[in-house]
Amino acid sequence: MGTEEQCKMASILRISSLQKWLIISFATLLGFTLFVMPVIASSIYSFQKPGGKGFSFISYTWLLHQDGFFASMGISLKLAALAGILNISLMVPTMVYLNFTGQRFKPLVDFICILPLVIPVVSLAIGAQNAMPSFLQNTQYELVFFFVIIGLPFTYRSLDTALQAISLKTLVEASRSLGASWMRTIISVIVPAIRGGITGALFLTIALSIGEYTITSLLHWETFPTWTVVASQQNLLGAIALSVFSFVGAIALLSIFALFPKKSARKVEVDQ
Amino acid sequence: MSKKERISSTLELRGISRNFGPVRALDGLNLVLAPGELVALLGPSGCGKTTALRIVAGLEVATSGELFVNGERYNGVAANARDMGMVFQSYSLFPNLNVSENIEYGLRARKIGSAQRAKRVAEMLELVALESKAKSFPHQLSGGQQQRVALARALAIEPRVLLLDEPLSALDAQVRSQIRDEIRRIQLELGITTLFVTHDQEEALTISDRVGVMSNGRLEQIDIPDVLYNNPASTFVANFVGTMNHIPTIASGDTVDIFGKKIRVKNSKGVNGSVSALVRPESIEVTRTSGSGNAKIITRSFLGASSQIICQTAEGAVIQALMPSHESGDLHPGEDVTLNVTLSEVLVSHV
Repeated sequence: MGTEEQCKMASILRISSLQKWLIISFATLLGFTLFVMPVIASSIYSFQKPGGKGFSFISYTWLLHQDGFFASMGISLKLAALAGILNISLMVPTMVYLNFTGQRFKPLVDFICILPLVIPVVSLAIGAQNAMPSFLQNTQYELVFFFVIIGLPFTYRSLDTALQAISLKTLVEASRSLGASWMRTIISVIVPAIRGGITGALFLTIALSIGEYTITSLLHWETFPTWTVVASQQNLLGAIALSVFSFVGAIALLSIFALFPKKSARKVEVDQ
Repeated sequence: MSKKERISSTLELRGISRNFGPVRALDGLNLVLAPGELVALLGPSGCGKTTALRIVAGLEVATSGELFVNGERYNGVAANARDMGMVFQSYSLFPNLNVSENIEYGLRARKIGSAQRAKRVAEMLELVALESKAKSFPHQLSGGQQQRVALARALAIEPRVLLLDEPLSALDAQVRSQIRDEIRRIQLELGITTLFVTHDQEEALTISDRVGVMSNGRLEQIDIPDVLYNNPASTFVANFVGTMNHIPTIASGDTVDIFGKKIRVKNSKGVNGSVSALVRPESIEVTRTSGSGNAKIITRSFLGASSQIICQTAEGAVIQALMPSHESGDLHPGEDVTLNVTLSEVLVSHV
């Protein structure tokens, strides 16, 4: 009896593992054709000499010599970093308040933070710009505030999840009763406890800001994405090199952020 | 100010009330703790004991009433300026800091130099016997160890008052009694004024100088454990502290009839009709009878020095008695016995 059942189990397992294998290989194939192949193809293509013969860096050197390549990238990185920092410094205390004593305001703030996804970008860009003080309207730094706004839906959720996973109330009360100010409590207790959520929120805001095209273009500022569009209209190979470059850059940035929380986890293990 | 003076403060709550919307969680609580005294607030959940503790800690604001520490009014003082050490129910250690860093957290907030901090941390680790765990993180410690670190952390700042908010309720039974005794040892050693909130009467009775029993936001009775147990002021206290038999009987005038014996009623003088007499198991005497008694034995459980005997009276009431084991060895289930009450007066409650 026992062996018969085992045989049956084994055959079921064999079929299901075959199915599993099929699903995995199909997914790999799909991923390869739709994602990996274009990337490989465009990488190879970007290293070709114009005219199609031989290997060269010419497209990349062309890219580096274009007017505004470094300038626009520098602006994008600077604005994105500012937006990320501003977003986090605004949202961490807000989310702590909402999860601690301000529970009743949570639905309202949740609603406000979801608005950037609902409001058409054109109305957001034009409407919000009119509301800004005029000294900001004349500098590219006005984009920082737009980038903060478009990051809100993601920051809200990322931080909210992180805060709900810790016993916020007890930690805050313990810290307060030990004589710590609110500032110290947030910086030395809450921020380390929700580090993963903060890294995630920061990464999303920075990634969104670096890639933001519509608002920047509507308000006539030049950042890396708007520069890319203009530059790629002049040189086909250069445009491909540019997309490969942006892709590798994005992967590099992503890896840096992905490594952050792991580093601290490893530190704990070593201390053991 | 020497350490001893600072740590042995008086704590006084004067008419403290707290409303949560229409609910009155605390209703004019008056309480005075002498320097170095450990007072437990005991009561069922929702009786206001935790609210009282949180008001003392500054984590909750009183609707009315006044709070004094060493005669100084504390009402408007922020939680982080009160110098109160608090131990929470559980999971209050900072997860990103190791044991030493947790203990020195309050010292850092007070901008105390690193040499002095290290000295204090070492003292505290020794006090709770966790020197070997100085570099461990909270998630690497057992529940009991975590609560000992929480206690060390609360004491490191040399608080004026130590506040314990059900610090043992998340621990398992064996560790609980061990940590309980450790808390009492440390409290006596430092002579620190302590307010201890619990719903566990055994915890409260074993380690406190005085126990306050609370119900519906009011203090029903506050006294030393012996008085609370032997001479409860109300039927609520009698029921809440220790085990109690409810013997159905008839009251007439100032006396009730229990097992054929007239006993004076301590409360509700002049009450007539059906009542329950409240009698502790150790105040009931079970004797074997050759003829028919007034009850039958259901079980006898040997507990060591004493034995618990459960009987059923002819009227159907189940009575629990506690007798020395050497006097109750010949009592067997199913036998007829005579029950007797060894009291001169008794509390009754209306049925």
